[in-house]
Amino acid sequence: MSLYPQPASPAFGQMAYASQPYSQPMLPQAAYHYPAAVQPVFHVDSNMFRRDYMARLAELTVNSRPIIQNLSMIAQEYSRFAEIVAQCIESHIRRVLPWMKLPAFYLLDAISKNVFDPYARQFTPLVVRLFLDTYEQVDQNTRSKMEEMLLTWRTGAPTGRELFGVVPQVAIERHIWGGEATQSAASSSRHTAGSSSISTAQVLSELEFVLSQKERSVVANPYDKMAQNHVAVLQQLRKLVQAGVSQEELGQILTQLRALAQPASVPPQLTPAPIPTQSYPTQMPYPSPAPPAPFPGPVEQPTYPLPSAYSAPSYNVPKSEPVNLSGLLAPQSLPVQPTPPSVNPPISTLAPMNSITNLYNALLKAGVVGATGTPTGAGASAKVEECRPSDPVRDAIRDHRKAILAQKIKLTSADITRQRSNIVDFLYNRLPSQCKQCGIRFPDGPKGKKHMEDHLDMHFRQNRKAGQAVGRGYSRSWLISMEDWIHDGSVDVKGKGRADGRILSSSAAAAVEAAKREAELQAQYVVVPPGDEAKSISCPICKEPLKSEFNEDDEEWVWRNSVKRDDKIYHATCHAEATASKSTLASRLRNEVSSSRSRSRTPEKQQVRTPPKVLVPLSEESKKSAPSSPSTPVGTKRKADDADGPGTQDSKSDVPPLKKQALSV
Amino acid sequence: MSGLGLLNSDSKPLPADDEAAANTRQWHLASETEYRFELDPNSSLAIKLVHGQAEIFGAELAEGNTYVFGLECKAAVYTWQGCTIEVTGQPSTEYVSEETPMQVYANLVLALEQMRVRALRAFHGSPPSSEEGPDPDPDPQPPRVLVLGPGNSGKTTLSKMLINYAVRMGQSWNPVLVNVDPGEGGWAAPGAISAATITSPIQTSTPASTFGSAATSAPAHLTSNALLPLAYWYGHAETRRNPLLMDRLIRNLGENIWERWDNDLGGRVAGLIVDTPSSFAASSGPNGDHRHALIKACVDAFRINVILIVGHEKLNVEMQRAYGNRIAVVKIPKSGGVVELDPSYRERARKHQLHNYMYGRIIPPPPGLPPTNVLQGGEQTPDLTLNLAPSSSIVAFGDLTLYRIGEETMAPTSALPIGATRVVSEMQPLLVDPAQPGSGLYNAVLALLAPPNPDESERYDEEMLDLPVVGFLVITTLDIPNKRMTVLAPTQGSLVGRTAIVGSIEWQE
Repeated sequence: MSLYPQPASPAFGQMAYASQPYSQPMLPQAAYHYPAAVQPVFHVDSNMFRRDYMARLAELTVNSRPIIQNLSMIAQEYSRFAEIVAQCIESHIRRVLPWMKLPAFYLLDAISKNVFDPYARQFTPLVVRLFLDTYEQVDQNTRSKMEEMLLTWRTGAPTGRELFGVVPQVAIERHIWGGEATQSAASSSRHTAGSSSISTAQVLSELEFVLSQKERSVVANPYDKMAQNHVAVLQQLRKLVQAGVSQEELGQILTQLRALAQPASVPPQLTPAPIPTQSYPTQMPYPSPAPPAPFPGPVEQPTYPLPSAYSAPSYNVPKSEPVNLSGLLAPQSLPVQPTPPSVNPPISTLAPMNSITNLYNALLKAGVVGATGTPTGAGASAKVEECRPSDPVRDAIRDHRKAILAQKIKLTSADITRQRSNIVDFLYNRLPSQCKQCGIRFPDGPKGKKHMEDHLDMHFRQNRKAGQAVGRGYSRSWLISMEDWIHDGSVDVKGKGRADGRILSSSAAAAVEAAKREAELQAQYVVVPPGDEAKSISCPICKEPLKSEFNEDDEEWVWRNSVKRDDKIYHATCHAEATASKSTLASRLRNEVSSSRSRSRTPEKQQVRTPPKVLVPLSEESKKSAPSSPSTPVGTKRKADDADGPGTQDSKSDVPPLKKQALSV
Repeated sequence: MSGLGLLNSDSKPLPADDEAAANTRQWHLASETEYRFELDPNSSLAIKLVHGQAEIFGAELAEGNTYVFGLECKAAVYTWQGCTIEVTGQPSTEYVSEETPMQVYANLVLALEQMRVRALRAFHGSPPSSEEGPDPDPDPQPPRVLVLGPGNSGKTTLSKMLINYAVRMGQSWNPVLVNVDPGEGGWAAPGAISAATITSPIQTSTPASTFGSAATSAPAHLTSNALLPLAYWYGHAETRRNPLLMDRLIRNLGENIWERWDNDLGGRVAGLIVDTPSSFAASSGPNGDHRHALIKACVDAFRINVILIVGHEKLNVEMQRAYGNRIAVVKIPKSGGVVELDPSYRERARKHQLHNYMYGRIIPPPPGLPPTNVLQGGEQTPDLTLNLAPSSSIVAFGDLTLYRIGEETMAPTSALPIGATRVVSEMQPLLVDPAQPGSGLYNAVLALLAPPNPDESERYDEEMLDLPVVGFLVITTLDIPNKRMTVLAPTQGSLVGRTAIVGSIEWQE
């Protein structure tokens, strides 16, 4: 119903445009096709209405829930002027500055969903152009919000179908994410994926969407370990996808994500059972006395042949079957392991957690056997991946190396003039596919194909963009700042992720790696000896006092982030740094490789005994400081945990700066 | 889609085609030959690859597409395996040469590529396999190449070729191209030195911005047309004006490249290529001392491990002696296609470059060809995306703080009277007051600097020298009574910095 299918939670209250803004005010009216005659206000003529509505729209400069609510109520009241409303909104969106466009889109979204008829009909012809034009103009942050909104449109109609119909939905999705995958997504048989090509960007975008849902529910319910677990798994999944996985896996992930998205939006168990109007927001504005459907989105049923485990607990559907989701992943093991119908919420809460772990494990497994994917997920280290003998990417690199090194050329003045080498082989013959438009060549094999596809996509997008902007005028950009230039390895200036997903840009992988080590260090603790609770102890390295806290799992006071060595208690991070700085950077890198290999399959539950707190970015500081000042870890205060919120830390640690906002929606 | 609407010399002549047909010739190039052309100032040339494989300075041409060249462009279409090209337009000189140093360049490319794959192997930590033979070097390094040579020896072209071949290897290399020739300016304006990561071949269409161009708000088809350079402002075309400043800027550039590579170990294995000004190779003469210092600055800053010397025997010996024990010094023959360029040509190229920075540049195709469906610098829609709109705005004197580095005319220390010392050091920023008559600001090119460190305690006196450039401005009018000036800025909106440095570069539309 609303942008966020998830019912209200504390976190939502703070958002200007929350989950079901219109439920209460609109319920009484509740009709979308009453005759014009009963319109309470009948003296309004269309011109006046247009002027009035335009004026009110002009106030919508910020994401203000009351304004949006008000405007959509007016729209509902005057549905006979639907055409005018649609025109007003369109011209408003086109006219205002980029940062004011999103609220207007929320309005469009709200009206179309709440007053499906006739508004969705009115918006359908213009929504594609409008959406894409706006999408081009706004910043990355807004884009991800728009993508989020777009995802809700898939099931936005009261029937659970695409809000504006299949064709516009597909058109928009294809423009944004490229590829054909969205077609299958939008068509009624949404279970399939993998048959057609799916772009990583699309999967990532959907992943972000689900992830943000989960994160919100974590915020709402900090003690909900299940949700925390979901977040952790999804984050790892994201890294997996970013590191690059095969088409099939993308398809599988997509299927799983879509399965997750809907049920996961159910409020966590800790909140009391929602009142009906809240749990079925989709039905709300329609007067039909909607019998409680077993699933929030009725269409979901045909889509997912196996009822997903998550929906069961919240709705207390008698016939819920928590399924091992790995069944979905491996077709040959389709037989579901049915468990007794769980009517008991506490038990069934566990099921989702298990199954999401299963999902993750299964994905990992699939990754192992998959074309390119090695268990990059957990460590997401490109280096690990390339150590796999069966990896075609790796093979291609080795092939190239062999061929290059087979050329017996020495870099001397005499040698390079004497030899005759076969460079044609490297420039042409080994790169069979060529872009017909700009002449760039690509190697064979999955990676080369993918590069070529991305490249052609890029041409398509560029041509479209160039065509649109006739007469608008371009200008030279300011040069980027030094900071951005130095970190430009993974993101280009406009904030778009680089299309070719260069696997060698190891900074991200290294950061992930470092962050993980940091997490493990942070999780270490020393139990405070009885009676010493009040004593204050300082770390011998950084001289900062150790913070004691009560560990609820063990019911003991502990010093967090600490290790005991030779009867002295250090900060675990300080100690590790001091030890590490003794060895060279190179050997440390090697350590990272080997340790990540062993760690990548370890479920993280083992290590982290407390709710997985996310981490302080070790990467930048230590990387800089370690080589230059090997023996002085003093002064780098990086103790613990509580200071930084999980959101900022996380985004810092594994994504480039510009992408940051996109994640913390 | 590419061939649509283009002329075909065999087809029945339409009126528009008549002129073109008269203007069009086909050249059949045997393998390993090149077609060289030179253009007059106001003519343009279109080349279409009809059949076979061809490349311009290492950037491959796509078959059936028409490429345009202009602004006195002097270039060559080379073919490894033979091709047929169709040339429209009237170049002042055109001929086919069978003697090229390309085979040598190819060997060089492969030798550098070997360094890359070895470095990558070491980066992955995998041991050399048996047939690859043992690694000659325990710590293989990617190629970091310094290209030296006298004027008109083809240094820039060689640098471009080496970069292009590297990105064409299909290995997703993203090497860094560094331009320390302030007379050329790389991707920024003349007077700057800069560095950029290259991921797709650099096209050739004009002598202005020969290394591709910096990003615009327009969508670019080739990433080499939307480069994100890091630039420092030196302010003069000649390195001898202020060698100390040059030295410092080179080191700044190197430091930042290495910092970038610290974050991107994978990017490091692609290495870098440094193109240098000819003054680095000027044999003996009064400025011999500073050029050695500058070469040393490059070697240190970029940790050069290969020095290429294009067509200069004596310099080769000199470098062998100085660096031969730790750096591979390799002599490279000069291409016979290199054209002697007079200073006025370079001056015009500089002018074009600034014009290109501000306004972009569309080359009209030669008469007879339709203005659409041609590629300029690899762009498919040059009329849309290479046409830029700068903005002219009036700013108060107080809104921009202007500096000049060192004295306006810096005589070399050796030229000072014996015993005299400088009043102003070379590195001292001097405030320029635009209200003073004779400030020399009219038509001056300003480099707008990035804002200084926001943390006051981190500031230092000469910080300004270490700030990169965010953009270039030109003062088009000075209104001293009202304390205002009109500046031409590349893009609309407010200026992103408040400090600018003046050099000796001027530009008039």
